Amino acid sequence: MEQKSDLLQGTLDVLILKIVDLGPIHGYGIAQRIRQISKKVLQVQQGSLYPALHRLEKRGWLRAEWGEAETGREAKFYSLTKVGRKQLEAERANWDRLSEAVTMILRTAE
Amino acid sequence: MWFRKRGPEAQLNAELRYHFERLIRESIESGMEPEEARRRAQLEFGGIEQIKEECRDVHGRWLDDFGKDLHYAVRTLRRSPGFLVVSVLSLALGIGANTAIFSLINAVMLRPLPVKEPGRLVQISRIMPNGQPGVVSYPLFQYLRVNLQSISAASAEWAAEPAILMDGAEEVISAELVSGDQYSVLGIEATAGRLLEPADDVVSPGSPAAVISYGYWQRRFGLDPAAIGKTFSIRNNVFTIVGVTPQRYHGTRLGRYPDITLPLTMMLSDGQRRESTFNMLSMMGRLKPGGTIGQANAELQAPWRSFLEVEAVKVSEKDRPGILSQRAAVLSAYDGFNSLRRSYSKPLLVLMGIVALVLLLACANLSGLLLARAESRQREISIRLAMGARAGRLMRQFLAESLVLAILGGSAGLLLAFWLSSALVGMLANGSTLLLSTAPDWRVLAFTGAISLLVCLLAGVAPGWHAVQANINPSLKEVRSGGRRHLGKALVVAQLSISMVLVVAATLFVGTLVKLYSVDRGLRTDGVLTFSVRSRERYPQTRCWAVQSAIVDRMAALPGVASASAVQVVPISGGLWTRAIEVEGYTFRSDESEAVGFNVIAPKYFATLGTPLLSGREFDSRDTNTARKVAIVNESFARHFFGAQSPLGRRVTSLKVAYEVVGVVKDAKYQSLRSGVLKTMYIPWTQREGEQPSSYSFLARVAAGNPMRLAAGLEKLVRDADPGLRLRGTQTYSTLVDQSIVTERVMATLGGFFGLLALLVACLGMFGVLAFQVSRRINEIGLRMALGASRSGIVVLILREVAAMLALGSGIGAAAALALTGLAGKMLFGVTPTQPTVFILSALVLAVAALAAGWLPARRASRVDPIVALRHE
Repeated sequence: MEQKSDLLQGTLDVLILKIVDLGPIHGYGIAQRIRQISKKVLQVQQGSLYPALHRLEKRGWLRAEWGEAETGREAKFYSLTKVGRKQLEAERANWDRLSEAVTMILRTAE
Repeated sequence: MWFRKRGPEAQLNAELRYHFERLIRESIESGMEPEEARRRAQLEFGGIEQIKEECRDVHGRWLDDFGKDLHYAVRTLRRSPGFLVVSVLSLALGIGANTAIFSLINAVMLRPLPVKEPGRLVQISRIMPNGQPGVVSYPLFQYLRVNLQSISAASAEWAAEPAILMDGAEEVISAELVSGDQYSVLGIEATAGRLLEPADDVVSPGSPAAVISYGYWQRRFGLDPAAIGKTFSIRNNVFTIVGVTPQRYHGTRLGRYPDITLPLTMMLSDGQRRESTFNMLSMMGRLKPGGTIGQANAELQAPWRSFLEVEAVKVSEKDRPGILSQRAAVLSAYDGFNSLRRSYSKPLLVLMGIVALVLLLACANLSGLLLARAESRQREISIRLAMGARAGRLMRQFLAESLVLAILGGSAGLLLAFWLSSALVGMLANGSTLLLSTAPDWRVLAFTGAISLLVCLLAGVAPGWHAVQANINPSLKEVRSGGRRHLGKALVVAQLSISMVLVVAATLFVGTLVKLYSVDRGLRTDGVLTFSVRSRERYPQTRCWAVQSAIVDRMAALPGVASASAVQVVPISGGLWTRAIEVEGYTFRSDESEAVGFNVIAPKYFATLGTPLLSGREFDSRDTNTARKVAIVNESFARHFFGAQSPLGRRVTSLKVAYEVVGVVKDAKYQSLRSGVLKTMYIPWTQREGEQPSSYSFLARVAAGNPMRLAAGLEKLVRDADPGLRLRGTQTYSTLVDQSIVTERVMATLGGFFGLLALLVACLGMFGVLAFQVSRRINEIGLRMALGASRSGIVVLILREVAAMLALGSGIGAAAALALTGLAGKMLFGVTPTQPTVFILSALVLAVAALAAGWLPARRASRVDPIVALRHE
C-alpha cells in the first residue's frame, strides 16, 4: 500500500489550476495526474474534486467544454481562463511563501 | 452539439458517469473481474448523490428550489379551485382598482408632454385671485416675450372650435391657435411637410398656413401625403395645410387633441390684437440652458410691474389699486396647460386612498384564508419540520403560494384596470369629450408589479410565520391553537376597521351627492332641453334680434313645447357673470362689493325654467331696444337693496345705463349647486347690443316626457330661422346639471361601490372565521348544552363574539376615519367630515352586515345535538 497524505485545506484548488494549466483535461484525468505526478502520495477524492471543479468554474477561473475523450465518449474538459492563470500565479507565489515559512519553523523547532 | 442543450443536472450526471466508468475500466485493465471492478469503483466513488448535492450547492440552489416551490404552490392551489377563484378574484378587484386609479393619476398628474426636455417648459401667467394660473392678452404676451432674458423662446396658444369648409363640406374641428414660435418652444419636428414658423405670424393677403395633427391626418386623409397643400376656409380666410405634427404629440392641453393648428394672428381681430385687457392666451416659454423657474419668476416681476403701472394709468383712480395688486408668475409646464391636474388631482388622490384600503382589506381577507389553509396543513408541516426542513424553507413555500396568487391576481387586475380606467374616463367626461389615454405605460406596469409583490408579502408572511412558529414549539400546542384564533380574529377586526373607514367615506360622498341633488335650486331642470347655435358670419344688430326671436318663436310653436326662451349664462353650468351696479337710494359701505350677479334673458325665461315670479312681470315684446330700459331682480337683491319697500319702479344703474325694476323673482342657484344664492339682476336680450345669436343658450320646456325628442327637428329649425345658423350642443338641462357635479357623482359612485364591496369582503371574512370556530368548538358547545345551556344562550355566546369584534373594529375604524376624512374637506357638501350622524349611520350599517354574517354560524352552533357533539373527535 502506498502512503497517502491528506491534502491541506485550500491546496486542492491550486493543484487543479496547475494541472489544468497543462492543457484541457477532464475530472478523471485531473485525479490521475495528481496521483501520478505526486507519485501516489496525493490522492484526490471525487467527493472533493467535483465540487472544487464546479466552484472554480463558477468563479470564472476554469472554463468547461464538452468534447470527445480518448475513450471515444464525450467528457467535460476543463481549461484555464485568463483570470484563472493569474490566480494560479498568485496562489503559487502564496504557496512558495507558505511552504518556506512552514519549513523554516519546522527546522528551527528541531 | 447535442449535449450542449442538456440541462445542468444531466451534464452533472454525464460528467460523474464518465469518471465512474473510467474507474471500472481501469480496474478491468489491471485484470479484475467486471463485477468486482464495478463494486470497487462504487466503493471508491463514495456517495454519488452526495457529490451531486455538493456540486449543486456550488451553483446555488435558491432559484432551483424556488421553481420547485412555485410548482408545488401551483399544484396545491389547483387542488382547491374554490379558494383559488375567490382569492384571485378579490386580488384582481383590489389590484385592478388600484391600477385603474393610478393610471388616471399617471395620465393626469405624472405624464410629461412628449416633447424635447419637457422639464424646461414654463407657463408665464397671470395669477388669478384664487391662486390658479390665468391667461394673458396679446399685447402682454408680445411685451413679456421680449422682456424676459431667462427664456429662450415663448409662444401663445388659444383653443377654439371653429367650423371649417373643406371640399365643399362643413365640419366642426378642434383647433389650436398658436404663435409661430410654438413648435420651436416645444422642440418638435414635422412628421410630414413643415410646422408653423414665426414667418406665419405675418398677416398677409396670401393663403395662411395650417398644420394638422397626426390623428386628423389619419382620420380625414388616411395618411395620404396629398393632404399637404389642401386648402380649407374658416369664414372668409382660406388656409393651406403645410404639415403634420408627430404622432405622439397631442397638443398642449391634456384631455384635448386638436385636429388643426392655425396661426394665432390670423384668427384674432384687430381689436383682440391691440386690447391689453383682452386676456385669453396661454403663454408658454422654454428656459435657457442652466436657467431655473425661480430665476425666471424673479426676472418676470420687474416688467410685470411696469406693465401694471401703464395699465393703471388708463383707469380711474378708484380702480387703480385693484389693477396694481394683480400678480403674475412663471410656473412649471412640463405637462403643458394642465387644467385637469388642478380639478382632478384631489379627488384622484382621495380615490387612491380608498382603493388602497380596499386592497389592504383584500390582503387581510386572503391572509385569513391562507391561515385557515395552513391550519389544515398543520400535520404535513409538522412532518416536514420533524424531518429537518428549515423554517425559512417552509416560509418560502407559503410565500410561493401567495406569490402565485398575487401574479394571477395582478395579471387579472391589469386587464380589469384597462376596462375600469376607460370607464372612469367616460364617467368623468360624462358625455363630453375627454381624450385621456390611460393605456398602461412603464409607470403603470411598475406600479402594478410593486403592489402585487406587496400583496404577496402582506398576505403570505403572517400565516406562514404562524404555521411554522406553531410547529417549532410543539410544547406550546395549547397556546398555539389559541394563538391562531387570536390571529384570525385580529384579521377580522382589521377587516372590520378598514370597512368602517370605507363605509364612512361612502356615507360622506353619497351624502354629499344626495344633498347636492336635494338642495333648493329655485328652478326646475327636468323637462327642459337646451342648445346653442353657431353662425357662419356676424349679423348686424337688428338682424341678431330678429334671428334670436325667430328661433324662440319657432321652438314655442313645436308640438308639446310648453314654453321657450333663451339665456346668456345658463345657471348651474359653472359660468358666472357679475357686474358693478349703483342702486338709487342705496349707499354701498366702503368695504362692500358693488358686484351683483348679472344675466341677459329672453321673454318667458322664468316661466320656462319654473322660477316663480313674486311680483311685477316678465320681459315681453314691449321691452325693445328703443323702449325704457327694464330689469328683473331676485328676492335676495330686492331684500338687500330695498328692504321691505317694493322694488318695482326703482332704478338700478349698470355701465351708465339706468334700468327700472319691473319684476321680482324667487331666488335661484347661479354658478353651481354648491354656491350660495347671489343677489342677481336680469335684463332683456333686446335691450343689450353687441351680442350674436351664438352668445345665447336656447331653452325649451316640454309639457311631458323626455325633452330630447325635440332634438331631431332642431337642425332644420335653426336653419329655417336663418340659413347661416348651425345647431350645436343639444342636451337636456338635467344632463347639464349632472355634468356640473361630475366629480361628486364619480366620488359617490365609486365611494359607495367600494364601501359596499368592503362590507361584503369583511362579512365573508367574519363568516369564515366564525364558521371555523364553531366547527372547532362543537365539543365545548355540546358540553355547555349538556350542562343546561339553552339554544338561545348558545346563539348569544357566538353573537357576543361578533359584537366584541364589531365594537373593536368599528371603534378603530371610526378613529382612523376621523383622522382621514378631513382630507375630503372641500369635496363635501351638506355633510361635515366629523358629523356624528355619519359615524353612527356607518356603524349601524356595519353592525347589520356583521350580525348577518354571524347569524348563520351562530344558528348552526345552537342546533348542535349535545350527544353527537360530545362524541365528536
